[in-house]
Amino acid sequence: MHETALMTNLLAIVERAARDGGGGAVRVVHARIGEFAGVNVDALRFAFEALSPGTAAAGGRLECEIVPLRLRCRSCGADGPSSEFVLACGACGSTDMEIVGGREMEVDYILTDDEPPESGAGR
Amino acid sequence: MHEIRVGEDLRDRNREIAAENREHLRAHGIVALNVMSAPGAGKTSLLVRSIPLLAARHAVGVIEGDIQTTTDAERVAALGVPVYQIQTGGVCHLDAAMVHSALHRLDLDAIDLLIVENVGNLVCPAEFDLGEDARIMLLSVSEGDDKPKKYPLMFHEAQLLVLNKIDLLPHVVFDLEKARRESREIQPALDIIELSCATGEGIDRFTDWIDRFVEKARGR
Ligand SMILES: Nc1nc2c(ncn2[C@@H]2O[C@H](COP(=O)(O)OP(=O)(O)O)[C@@H](O)[C@H]2O)c(=O)[nH]1
Ligand SMILES: [Mg+2]
Ligand SMILES: [Zn+2]
Ligand SMILES: [Zn+2]
Ligand SMILES: [Zn+2]
Repeated sequence: MHETALMTNLLAIVERAARDGGGGAVRVVHARIGEFAGVNVDALRFAFEALSPGTAAAGGRLECEIVPLRLRCRSCGADGPSSEFVLACGACGSTDMEIVGGREMEVDYILTDDEPPESGAGR
Repeated sequence: MHEIRVGEDLRDRNREIAAENREHLRAHGIVALNVMSAPGAGKTSLLVRSIPLLAARHAVGVIEGDIQTTTDAERVAALGVPVYQIQTGGVCHLDAAMVHSALHRLDLDAIDLLIVENVGNLVCPAEFDLGEDARIMLLSVSEGDDKPKKYPLMFHEAQLLVLNKIDLLPHVVFDLEKARRESREIQPALDIIELSCATGEGIDRFTDWIDRFVEKARGR
């Protein structure tokens, strides 16, 4: 289970982004997770619930968008979703293929309040 | 509500440290291999079999990744090569930071071939660059020939696939041809070697591969 370690990185990214973005309270964290990235989304959500209190993401909601596998052919440029992990181009037969989607583990965007919480005032 | 675009990868920090490791290793003229597989596929057995042969031509050092125990490190240390044991404390893969601290505890001037045994796991080691020059994937025939299709990323990321425990082929259902074919669909450039750590059959093909790889890596 490495979702705990990944969550520590995610929370650090959110912390920085929220601070640089004006310091409003974080409402939504939108993550993109590739279907082949080896991340268990349920475990990631669980890690968010466990670790976000006390961080900039406290009280926010984690959204996980699953990104399907997408391959691109370096020979003919064919590019599209692929239901199978087979590096052979359906159009030209080349095996010189690149994985362009399906391995993501990233924070895509966050949604925050417009104003930072007033200091001293209870939230 | 205020939208802040981020677009940052959770592995960015790991990639930075892996790049530092790669520099460290290069500066010391060390070629590094990351050996990955499911638990029990035979990673330690392969090291125990091959290191005595490799040590005749390379100054071998080993990093052992294990969730908790030190038995693998002891098996390798008995061969008389420097070993550093990383206990990940529950984490299911090695990451670049763990390897970085291990590099600072090994005498890098006394090593020119570093072999890292990753934690036994078929999923996540694929996503964590350690700073290695090549990845070696082990699949034992007792695990079944469906593994490449089920865990493609591990096979995709490897330069060499070792099919281990071929002594068991008469006793298990494992289609070698299918395993080879499906692995190459996932990674067309994959080298494949069949061997048995129990009988020693094919170990020389493995050490030959390493010799050739090291030579190529040094020529770069
Ligand atoms: N029959 C057979 N058993 C093997 C072979 N290689 C390793 N083993 C056994 O498989 C088990 C796991 O091996 P080990 O090297 O510890 O695997 P690791 O977890 O990948 O490091 C041990 O009991 C080994 O003796 C082999 O080629 N044939
Ligand atoms: Mg082992
Ligand atoms: Zn094509
Ligand atoms: Zn892991
Ligand atoms: Zn350092």
